[in-house]
Amino acid sequence: MKEIVIISGKGGTGKTSVAAALAFIVPKAVMADCDVDAADLHLILKPEIRTSEDFYSGVKAEIDPGMCIGCWECERVCRFNAISHASSIYKVNPLDCEGCGYCNQICPAQAISLPQQMVGQCFVSDTRFGCRLVHAKLGIGADNSGKLVAKVKKEAKQEALRTGMDYILVDGSPGIGCPVISSLSGADFVILVTEPTLSGLSDLQRVWQLTAQFNIPAGCLINKADLNSQITAQIKDYLAQQGIWHLDDLPYDEDFSRAITLGQSLVEYNPGKWKTRFDIIWQSISKELK
Amino acid sequence: MKIAFTTTGTDWDSKIDPRFGRTDFILFYDEDIEEISTIDNREIVNVAHGAGPKTAQHIFDHAPDVLITGNGPGGNAAAILATMQLKIYTGAGGMTVREAYDALKNNQLPEGV
Repeated sequence: MKEIVIISGKGGTGKTSVAAALAFIVPKAVMADCDVDAADLHLILKPEIRTSEDFYSGVKAEIDPGMCIGCWECERVCRFNAISHASSIYKVNPLDCEGCGYCNQICPAQAISLPQQMVGQCFVSDTRFGCRLVHAKLGIGADNSGKLVAKVKKEAKQEALRTGMDYILVDGSPGIGCPVISSLSGADFVILVTEPTLSGLSDLQRVWQLTAQFNIPAGCLINKADLNSQITAQIKDYLAQQGIWHLDDLPYDEDFSRAITLGQSLVEYNPGKWKTRFDIIWQSISKELK
Repeated sequence: MKIAFTTTGTDWDSKIDPRFGRTDFILFYDEDIEEISTIDNREIVNVAHGAGPKTAQHIFDHAPDVLITGNGPGGNAAAILATMQLKIYTGAGGMTVREAYDALKNNQLPEGV
């Protein structure tokens, strides 16, 4: 079983369009949407949820009014001004609490607990493409984390083992932070999706530095390549210099937005134009993985 | 020589966990006394951020001479490990501990980071 992660560094390069196109083409795959802050694969795959599980992450302080002695220590030490009092009733404002635990350490009456917070849910679903999708939904204000990405990937792996699938396709999140590191860890191949803008190139370089550190082979798709031939040439120079495999140049095409508006994968929206193209991309990647 | 492996189990036939920070176990083999010991690292699943540095701390505390893993540690973990006299070998993902040990002895593992 091989794990393929699709990342971009920069947001808005067409990463999820590529992921949805591959979801349509790659046989025997489980999809994992690890872009949990802005999950959107479900808009195209239209999952029917089979199992869901609450997801806990981080802590917030809670004051037990029965045990509180009203000494003011917690309010004094809180760096986030999350604790206030009216007469002698002390309260934590959960929107301000960062869960640092200082108040819990310092409370002389041990009246402050740090319960884990339910921040969202993780789902395993059937999709209309036939592949399973593991995805998650966060509550308002909750953050994606390496922990949640690791959880989504673990579920996807178990699902793939249980159903005898050959591939896990992971839609990663933008950036180079903790969730991206977690989505890369254990991967067999990385698809980098970029666009010919200065920020596209700069973020490609940043995310490649991270990928290279993990010694994972990678291929790059330059989306909207015809919009700026000068930067496309710069990107190709960079790929050659770094030993990154150049998979394909995709032209700017309004099919991308039309397909998404209809909730479709590019390949089903206009198979004549896109099917062979993504078939070829996938065949060369799968050959590389053997 | 003391060798650390990131693993999914606790014996010679366990698979190497390709992940560093979120590895399930760390297995140590001390060649001098021919003894295996393990750390259960599975509680790392409850850590939202900073899994790499936490696992690096375990490695640091046990002071092995060699680390064998899959993809290798990330930037923050690597900065901690760089303060030790530690040789890091990657590319062992998918091997068993025994296979990885043999690969080390036959100089077949890439030295990383």
